[in-house]
Amino acid sequence: MKSNETEQQFLKLAKTIQMDERVPDGFQAQVMARVREQHALEIRSSDEQFLRFARNLPANEHVPYAFEKRIMARLRDLLTPDPLTLWSRMLWRAVGPCLGVMILVVLFSSEGLVDTSAGQAAGELDFETADFETVMLASFDDLENTW
Amino acid sequence: MQATENSQETDVRTDEELVRIVVGGDVECFEVLIIRYQSRVFGMARKYFRNESDAEDVVQGIFTKTFQKLSSYKGTAPFEHWFMRLSLNACYDALRRKRNRPDQTISDMLFDDESWQDRLSNIPDASDRVGLEEARELVYTVLGQISDRARIVLTLQELEGRSIREITEITGWSESLVKVQAFRARKEMRASVERFLMKEEKL
Repeated sequence: MKSNETEQQFLKLAKTIQMDERVPDGFQAQVMARVREQHALEIRSSDEQFLRFARNLPANEHVPYAFEKRIMARLRDLLTPDPLTLWSRMLWRAVGPCLGVMILVVLFSSEGLVDTSAGQAAGELDFETADFETVMLASFDDLENTW
Repeated sequence: MQATENSQETDVRTDEELVRIVVGGDVECFEVLIIRYQSRVFGMARKYFRNESDAEDVVQGIFTKTFQKLSSYKGTAPFEHWFMRLSLNACYDALRRKRNRPDQTISDMLFDDESWQDRLSNIPDASDRVGLEEARELVYTVLGQISDRARIVLTLQELEGRSIREITEITGWSESLVKVQAFRARKEMRASVERFLMKEEKL
């Protein structure tokens, strides 16, 4: 009975004592560092596990049926020239020589013009114009004579 | 037809000899090179392209480009290296072109019945086609979140086990660029895995 009373008293006393809720300095940071470390370890192990998994997975080297025939047919098509392509290729090749000829013709004709304009006096030009007219109308003169 | 294929598969001529013959005008010999390399090229293309028709288009493009560029092969390095480099560059170009079209997202890949850890812990058996396809899908989705260059470096270094030097030879990139990309690839992959785990936790 007496012991029971002592027990009750002790419990009463114990209840009156407030809980010591003090937190040591840097405790939170310490715990968080541990958590982060643990998380990193987990990730790293998952990461390693994933790599091991991927490494051991056999590669799928299955080749579709007659794949090489398909490629060869495509290459043969590439090698067979298309008439339109050939024609356009020829046209493109002709561009250079054509341009060359055109430039030469322009040069020659401009040189001829320069020569005639430099060597001719105004009177000579009038004379030649008259000659040209006579020659051009000669056939009409003949016609008049016939009728 | 089968006999012809078999005779081409067992052709004893080296790649370099075949290249000389093709460049010399015998185009039909190119078929031997196609048969010799097509499975490897398909394996490589499927690492970067999930869609079968995309992979086929890329492989077709690789062989066409190889044929067109065959005369530029000088023979200083083995044909295999030259060809694989060309193939990888073609894959990289195709990846860049394809970037604008979103593929599968992480949320599409989460399965209700199986966790990430469970799925990674067992590699499906070779006979389990569906399981293998799902596993490839998972790998593809995680790697799909990584930038193209980083993905190529990660595939070559971590999955194929190639050295930095080999990667520089294959890609034609500088050693420092490969190292930077390798570092970035690991970081991006980690982030991708983390996103996967976080999505799973939310469910």
